[in-house]
Amino acid sequence: MTILLLNLMHLMAEGQVCNLTLSGKVVDARDQSALSYAAVMIAEAEGKSGVADSLGHFRISGICKGKYHIELRYVGYEPASVFVDLNKSKSLTFELIRHQELLNEVAVHGEQEEMSSLVHNVVGKLKINREGNKNLANILESVSGVSVLKTGTGISKPIIQGVYGNRIAIVNNDLIQSAQLWGNDHAPEIDPFVANHISVIKGTAAIEYGTKALGGAVLIDPYIMNNDPHLHGSVNYIFESNGLGSTINAKLEQAANWASWRVTGTLKYIGDRHAPDYFLTNTGQREQNLAMQLEKRIKKKWIIKGYASTFNSNTGILLGGHVQNTTDLEEAIGREIPFNTSDEFSYSIEPPRQEVSHHLLKLETQYLSDANKIFTIRYGGQINNRNEYDIRRNNRSEIPALSLTLVTNSIDVNYHTVTPNNNHFKFGGQWYYSNNTNNPETGVFPLIPDYLSNKLGFFSIWKKEWDNWFVDAGARYDYQSLEVWAITKSFPREIENNLHQFNTFALSGGVGNELNKKLQLDLNLGYAQRAPEINELYSFGLHQGISQIEEGDKNLHPEDAFKAVFHLSWKLSPKLSVENSTYFHNINNYIFLEPQGVRLTIRGAYIVAQYKQTDAQLAGNDLAFEYTPHKSLVFNGVYSLVRGYDRSNDQYLIYMPSDNIQVNSQYNFKPTKAFENSFVKVTARYVFKQTRYNAEQEILEPPSDYFLLGLEAGIDIHRNKGHWVLGLRVENALNQTYRDYLNRMRYFSDEPGININFQLQYSF
Amino acid sequence: MKFQLKSILLLFIMIYGSSCEKKEDPIIPHEEELITTLKYTLTSADSSVVKEFIFKDVDGDGGDEPVITIDTLDAHIAYTGRITLLNESESPAEDITVEVEEEGAEHQLFFISSGADMEITYLDVDENGNSLGLETLVLTDSISEGTLNIVLRHQPKKPNDGSLSDAGGSTDISVDFDVFIR
Repeated sequence: MTILLLNLMHLMAEGQVCNLTLSGKVVDARDQSALSYAAVMIAEAEGKSGVADSLGHFRISGICKGKYHIELRYVGYEPASVFVDLNKSKSLTFELIRHQELLNEVAVHGEQEEMSSLVHNVVGKLKINREGNKNLANILESVSGVSVLKTGTGISKPIIQGVYGNRIAIVNNDLIQSAQLWGNDHAPEIDPFVANHISVIKGTAAIEYGTKALGGAVLIDPYIMNNDPHLHGSVNYIFESNGLGSTINAKLEQAANWASWRVTGTLKYIGDRHAPDYFLTNTGQREQNLAMQLEKRIKKKWIIKGYASTFNSNTGILLGGHVQNTTDLEEAIGREIPFNTSDEFSYSIEPPRQEVSHHLLKLETQYLSDANKIFTIRYGGQINNRNEYDIRRNNRSEIPALSLTLVTNSIDVNYHTVTPNNNHFKFGGQWYYSNNTNNPETGVFPLIPDYLSNKLGFFSIWKKEWDNWFVDAGARYDYQSLEVWAITKSFPREIENNLHQFNTFALSGGVGNELNKKLQLDLNLGYAQRAPEINELYSFGLHQGISQIEEGDKNLHPEDAFKAVFHLSWKLSPKLSVENSTYFHNINNYIFLEPQGVRLTIRGAYIVAQYKQTDAQLAGNDLAFEYTPHKSLVFNGVYSLVRGYDRSNDQYLIYMPSDNIQVNSQYNFKPTKAFENSFVKVTARYVFKQTRYNAEQEILEPPSDYFLLGLEAGIDIHRNKGHWVLGLRVENALNQTYRDYLNRMRYFSDEPGININFQLQYSF
Repeated sequence: MKFQLKSILLLFIMIYGSSCEKKEDPIIPHEEELITTLKYTLTSADSSVVKEFIFKDVDGDGGDEPVITIDTLDAHIAYTGRITLLNESESPAEDITVEVEEEGAEHQLFFISSGADMEITYLDVDENGNSLGLETLVLTDSISEGTLNIVLRHQPKKPNDGSLSDAGGSTDISVDFDVFIR
């Protein structure tokens, strides 16, 4: 009674209409299934919240007329904040997107659904916010089938189902990242904070992204602009104990009258890392990134989008890893502590180091002739500048030993339509024009030459869903002309002008069946030809990093690859689901660096490796499970294995990830009015020793098995204006001493020891 | 749709403009740090006898085999050894020895003999009084044969105990010569 009176008095005091009701349903964005007991909260109305029932229905009454942000939460889903102008009682359906580890998911990208039966994992924004201080590839490591090729602590490249570098596509905001990604020590120059989510595509049909994508693709997907007219933003600070590193990211966004905009900026400042027993001298990192996104809707049918980003990094390379000839290499391998290890911590970054920047501009217009027909034109401009500094004589350490500028202009045109009988079609063309120039001031023979590359591609994709079947098919044709200005290897040095032309095509097809609500099966098949890249054709010289002289072969042919992926998604019980992906990837004319022996130079004997072609076979399996014995407790795990074989030479392929298992258990605390998303998580990772290797090709036996324990905890605190997130993440909690086969620095040093990360984020 | 067409046209003009620039021939870099030749010149006390050990690899990291020439040494003789470093890919050849001398504190040459009966000691020092190795004293003893490994280290630890593993640094030169003392 008293409560009623109080409410009444409150209403009378307010003098406004406060008897409105917000009701509706909370569902899964993909299949519209109800999210039972989802939490619904009205941010600006203290005390106005509700919990959906078992059918996802909720009802909140007694709300005053006004503009609100409705916040929705459900375990295992991306939290959503939706702007609602409540001028009368409304009934709405709210969709939440499922996130992470365990997914054969169709990700919803703005207006359009993904086009195929791709096997698809998504790393969502919660994880990106918590782990954004890590290198991009390291964040993806928890996805099944993904491993990381490292060159020390600062440089990481993703490996998808055994393939990496030239064999996977990195797509940055719908533009194929145009950078020197052929190098094993060249990480993709992308700030994970610019992404709304990151998708890892492991199926065969990412044909839209070029023939490289048969191996796999990493899509850095931009934020979907929403309709919220208020200024929102966040500041996210992460401190890591190992390296005494600070990473700070700030975002601001608003759906203003003139346009919807979003700005994000990141600064990173990290010093020397520490292995359990010693400092990893000269492993500091710096980053300064900024990105801006604009979107404007004109007359309901047109959308203009703009995106501009700049990424700038300076990364130190372990001083003790800067070893040259085979004699020194053997000596370095035998050492307890690497050469040049300092007893003291330092933030400074000296040569050897890499300074890379990547500037990107995207302008796009989309014309929606109706909800089902979208026509897109996109211009992309990218400038990639890579400078690698070495220890040089005569004050030349400040002049890079490798200095490359790659300028790319691109145009993408595509058309997406759905016919009345539910056939989806997407057609498109892409033109990518790249100009690569060496800076002659280096005083060093260029590792790869100057070139002009002109690529024109056309693709078409068809998809159809009916009953419980799903079918898709795609085709692609690419023409590339590559004009190269090579410098002769013999003296006197002269310019040799060569022109290469490549015609490649790709096909893909997939079929999927939902046998019942519990079991779904998918089969993807793909065939693609991959033209050789500039490094495979023209590399010449000692590449900073492992002491190896690399030589290209300008007579290489395109590769011919066939990939089959069989995927099953099985909900054994309401508490247990399993996903399994088995794949087989056969590559003829597989281009790889084959060690040829040693070459005597004035600096001693160096391993020489030449680009050769062979017939290779990869096969593997990624198994993932999720077990929820209790509403608040989730166990999930991944077991990945891959085998790679060089059929022609009857030996193993180098750099194949070894078998690995990751198991996580997370306990989610019940949300209260002020505290949300509170959780505690334990992660365990076991990596097996790589036993499939060729003794003649490996200068050091692969390292032994290792086990890593991790801990995470987090809490969201809601205040009147905005909310705080506090996070704690401990990596290598047991301070384990170990080395990883895929880290090219394993010859010289151990991996970093324990790292405690503190995260503090404020959003409004 | 008119807006679409105009923007496409603009785009094409921009792209056409930027792509139609002829790409200039690249400037071939002047390879300043390339050392193609190491000469170890041994002169007897009265300057009457000169012996040379030469390692020459004109194409640097390229596939052409280096050319190694040696002289036999006489037994029981004291020679003064002098190291000369050249970049013979240029004409006239560039003398790198001067650079190493000027940055003496950041360099050191090591002479590791095995098998042959001889002793090599440093005659010169850098600006801090630590051994450098451009000038050495070679004392040959009895008739024997073996190998001599000459290493130039950049930024070694100085002072050091005279061994490569203690010195560290990066290897700019490491050559092996057969030694015959007659």
